[in-house]
Amino acid sequence: MPGLSSNSLLQWYHNAHSQGTRVFAIKSLFVRNSFSGYQLSALVLFSLVLMFADHRFDYLSKVRFYTSYVVRPVQWLTDAPLQLGESVQGSIKTRAVLETENEALREQLFMQQFQLQKLAHLTAENQRLNELLNASTIVEERVVRAQISGESPDPFLRRVMINKGQNDGVYLGQPVLDAYGLMGQVVEIEAFASWVLLVTDPQHATPVLINRNGVRTVAHGSELNPNELELRNLSNTVDVQVGDLLVTSGLGQRFPAGYPVGIITSVVHDPGQSFAIIKATPSAQLDRSRNVLLVF
Amino acid sequence: MAPVLEKRNANWIILITLLVAACLAIMPLPDWLILMRPEWIPLVLIYWIMALPYRVGLGVAWVTGFLVDVLEGSLLGLNGLCYVLVAWLCISLYQRLRMFTLLQQSCVVFVFIGIIQILNFWILAITELNAGSNLLVMLSALTSAVVWPFVFVTLRHLRRTFKVT
Repeated sequence: MPGLSSNSLLQWYHNAHSQGTRVFAIKSLFVRNSFSGYQLSALVLFSLVLMFADHRFDYLSKVRFYTSYVVRPVQWLTDAPLQLGESVQGSIKTRAVLETENEALREQLFMQQFQLQKLAHLTAENQRLNELLNASTIVEERVVRAQISGESPDPFLRRVMINKGQNDGVYLGQPVLDAYGLMGQVVEIEAFASWVLLVTDPQHATPVLINRNGVRTVAHGSELNPNELELRNLSNTVDVQVGDLLVTSGLGQRFPAGYPVGIITSVVHDPGQSFAIIKATPSAQLDRSRNVLLVF
Repeated sequence: MAPVLEKRNANWIILITLLVAACLAIMPLPDWLILMRPEWIPLVLIYWIMALPYRVGLGVAWVTGFLVDVLEGSLLGLNGLCYVLVAWLCISLYQRLRMFTLLQQSCVVFVFIGIIQILNFWILAITELNAGSNLLVMLSALTSAVVWPFVFVTLRHLRRTFKVT
């Protein structure tokens, strides 16, 4: 603490200044200088303009894209322990465990290859029948594997982040599936990652059809239950039963047809309501899958 | 005797604490715990504004909010706006806040984080981006207030150890 005599204080002040460091001879009691109010209103105005531009127009997608390079280290850091844990777990499995796992996987592969034997024949037959009906031809689908690397911190937004981005050819609206069914679609692309909106998000609607009888409808995410789908606009007289499988109908050109979306769990015909109250659980394991597929 | 002026390592410490807070903020949690996650980044920001209002001010608060927007995928500028307002409140009140006990500071932190959450809720409601959201987000303001004493003590210890000024 410098002495109170003005000479030593002055000397200290000059010494400090000559070293080129910032010095407060007497710390002012009031930080809020005259510019703080202007700074606040300028920043508030700027934020409002940014929000408006981001919400209504698409000008800011580039900004978001390049800023995602800056926040990438945080995402990588948060995912690193999980990756590390998995790789350590993978490398310390005992030989016995590996052998039984190997055996089980071989068995599963054998059964699936057997079931696929007829696939070539069925595809060709389907193609011929479609041509007979003058319907459009079946296109082979290319898939890319990805991993779920994060979730949206907002509990009311059902989105997950996957580790493939624009540099891997991901495009907006691309369907994402896991091994058991449809998961959602890509809604936002960064350089090395993308955000996927899940089918159970209340803002998402999937065109589906009931596998048993071909009834076409739309499955929305439920607002109340984060792991449920709702069929909102089916009248009380439509033929729907518990246990029916819902598959994508391909209408809307967003999702390819034929992938499982969910299984109906409850059908309530309330004569007082104009529509039946129908709920379904998604086929995809939305909160458990880590490996997903992107369909091109 | 001239006092020794320390080397400037303040920026690194502040950056590292914000980085750790960001990692904690996006760490995956089980479904039932997500609503109760404390708002780590605003907590750390409030502490640094209280402790070093010269170094951490409105600009830092806005940039942090902007980066959180990009991190979370929300509307650009939303968290910037909220953080700037709370930072301004902090800067106006920092002399009083320093005098409060930890319990009183926790109550103030509850109000600040509550302001952030409510502003988020309002703006998402106005722009109709909030399907399914309800006021249970205030639960995270409560847990932030509960966690504040630990954050305060930890960051104060860090500040004194590394002589951050």
